[in-house]
Amino acid sequence: MDYSNLRRQAASMKKSLFDQGYLDEQFCQVEDLQDEASPNFAEEVVTLFFKDSAKLISNVEQALEKYPKDFNRWDAYMQQLKGSCSSIGASRMKSECMSFRDYCGQGNVEGCMRSFQKVKREHGALRQKLEAYFQLLRQAGQLVLLELPPGPGCKN
Amino acid sequence: MAAAEARGREFPVGMKVLVVDDDPTCLLVLKRMLLDCRYDVTTCPQATRALTMLRENRRGFDVIISDVHMPDMDGFRLLELVGLEMDLPVIMMSADSRTDIVMKGIKHGACDYLIKPVRMEELKNIWQHVVRKKINENKDHEHSGSLDDTDRNRPTNNDNEYASSANDGGDGSWKSQKKKREKEDDETDLENGDPSSTSKKPRVVWSVELHQQFVNAVNHLGIDKAVPKKILELMNVPGLTRENVASHLQKFRLYLKRIAQHHAGIPHPFVAPASSAKVAPLGGLEFQALAASGQIPPEALAALQDELLGRPTSSLALPGRDQSSLRLAAIKGNKPQGEREIAFGQPIYKCQNNTYGAFSQSSPAVGGLPSFAAWPNNKLDMTDSPSTLGNVGNSQNSNMLLHELQQQPDTLLSGTLHNIDVNQPSGVVMPSQSLNAFPASEGISPNQNPLIIPSQSPSFLASIPPSMKHEPLLGSPSPSTSLLGGLDMVNQASTSQPLISSHGANLPGLMNRSSKPSPGISNFQSGNIPYVVNQNAIGVSSRPPGVLKTESTDSLSRSYGYIGGNTSVDSGLLSSQSKNPQYGLLQSQNDVSGSWSPSQDFDSFGNSLGQGHPDSTSSNFQSSALGKLPDQGRGRNHGFVGKGTCIPSRFAVDEVESPSNNLSHSIGNSGDIVNPDIFGFSGQM
Repeated sequence: MDYSNLRRQAASMKKSLFDQGYLDEQFCQVEDLQDEASPNFAEEVVTLFFKDSAKLISNVEQALEKYPKDFNRWDAYMQQLKGSCSSIGASRMKSECMSFRDYCGQGNVEGCMRSFQKVKREHGALRQKLEAYFQLLRQAGQLVLLELPPGPGCKN
Repeated sequence: MAAAEARGREFPVGMKVLVVDDDPTCLLVLKRMLLDCRYDVTTCPQATRALTMLRENRRGFDVIISDVHMPDMDGFRLLELVGLEMDLPVIMMSADSRTDIVMKGIKHGACDYLIKPVRMEELKNIWQHVVRKKINENKDHEHSGSLDDTDRNRPTNNDNEYASSANDGGDGSWKSQKKKREKEDDETDLENGDPSSTSKKPRVVWSVELHQQFVNAVNHLGIDKAVPKKILELMNVPGLTRENVASHLQKFRLYLKRIAQHHAGIPHPFVAPASSAKVAPLGGLEFQALAASGQIPPEALAALQDELLGRPTSSLALPGRDQSSLRLAAIKGNKPQGEREIAFGQPIYKCQNNTYGAFSQSSPAVGGLPSFAAWPNNKLDMTDSPSTLGNVGNSQNSNMLLHELQQQPDTLLSGTLHNIDVNQPSGVVMPSQSLNAFPASEGISPNQNPLIIPSQSPSFLASIPPSMKHEPLLGSPSPSTSLLGGLDMVNQASTSQPLISSHGANLPGLMNRSSKPSPGISNFQSGNIPYVVNQNAIGVSSRPPGVLKTESTDSLSRSYGYIGGNTSVDSGLLSSQSKNPQYGLLQSQNDVSGSWSPSQDFDSFGNSLGQGHPDSTSSNFQSSALGKLPDQGRGRNHGFVGKGTCIPSRFAVDEVESPSNNLSHSIGNSGDIVNPDIFGFSGQM
């Protein structure tokens, strides 16, 4: 197995995630928290995030159906999702959440609906990419992220 | 206790942090970060549970970090409660960076406000808040006394050196204003003979009981005439200093102001759909205080009343009710999720003498509105509006009341409990107490103080031994006065029962409450001795959300004595026994035990009623439990006392995770892990 090659691939994948705006600096902070004691911390956090955010998204979805035009409620649910996104550095998702909230503020139902679809898309896309990324890391035997040089976008 | 030693040697290593956030991802990341900072971390996904933990173990934490938007309780509410009851530094955090929200946090007393995502660098600095607070506390102690040299040498206000990421100077100025007010409030005479030392002073734990005494004293004096010295005298709590009272009074005033403003119609910006943005319920005392100080604008008052009553119905003849505000209140109150902006713990009504009691309008006759310690109740999710006196379902009221009551120290409750026990199978004890604290509902009729006029209230009072009915022996200034007063009455009045004058022994609301079960209580419920400690809470359903919800109209019964809940006085406590089985007030022995069953989450949680040893539970979830349990026996009960007892088991299970869960894995409802992190690291999450 060419670990160094896999390592490079992983690094490059990460770089592209940053370049495309899927992730931001917060993700680096999360990765930095990994150490010998918790070598898979980043993956754990990401896993937890997707599990929880799926619920939050479904909450928003239900609210959009059950409580038409209840912008306050929609906004509150989306606020939760946004907070969650910011914790792992899910940058594009976060932007979409913010845009949804803007539409709520404007009372723009159509805008909310569209924006919500985008949130869902970003969520799905990010999940896919991060799954691939961690998969690669595992293959590269790089579960301990310490070995992986900080990717682009990470200031350390 | 290596961690403890480490803590001592190398502050801030081992500093005990409690993180409260419903977002599991954030909680996980924060926890990890805090561990990397070498703090002791405990996480909790539920605000209500966090509050329980804090009440169980006030000294178990040095600082709290809390999210603003949480489903079960508004973060600001938690902030207020923690500040008032435990006086711990609280740091708010949110993804919401709007200035007005941040400002709100600061106004509610937050030490700092962090914007998510929180960075490691910010967390590294949080220890400053702990130190700063301690220094300021020590300063309070020395306020009126002679100043130590150490005091002078100590860096004076660090108020302006906030490591705040969100505010600049705003909080600093607030703090300095606060300091100034403290200076004005304090009298110059020395309460303590010796100059306070600058070293760590035992922190006064403002338990519900203690706070209630405080509130009663303030109520008695009148908010504008309440000076620390007089309050201290009235409270008569050994070990309490004037400075303690002064600083607490300070906070209390701020709290009142905030309540007043809030009730004046400032819309709550975050009413999360699923969450009840509960604002501190305004107790009668607060109203009185506010009214007396002229701080409540009439519309706010009306709105408050509306809120309390839940429905602006005609059943409440609240004066000066504004129709629109009534409607608004009604609408708010009707929200299924209880998304009320303001959660009033107690129904308030205006007494002739302008005191507000949580009673329906119809009973102004009572000489003076009993001052009830309307401690802001952390209403968790009070979706129901238990009928307050005016038959308005205001679960919140009862909740609040209960909440407050439950925190009463054993002394009060145990005494009453004892009494009631004797008379009634049910945990009548509460009633007397609660009645004292909270004006009886209309059912109680003119006698605001159940203790005073027992005969009038059907069930509850009936349960009180004849000897207890009577005029207050204590000669307390006002009919209702303080719980303590009521308790005394009870004790003295009753001749047949072996009253447990526990209050004498247990008075101090300070950390050292004795937890020994009073003999009387054991009569009550032989199996419940362990609960005795919790007795205080008897009748008080500490469990707000779950309990209240299911309770609906009878929710009041929960708040023993409070009566807010059930319209006809009977709300459980006073009324027919059949009504409030849960609260144990009127229950038969069996019932009582039922209500105290371990299933009550609180009980098991904090007080482990009957279940594990209280000590064990607390230690479990204490992050600081490097094996050490502060105030063990006693502390636990605070507040929970009531919970266990009054809450019918069916409620217990409702929203609260069983205590055992909490303790062992601290698994939140959402499955989050609340790890005590006893060893300072979570290892794998």
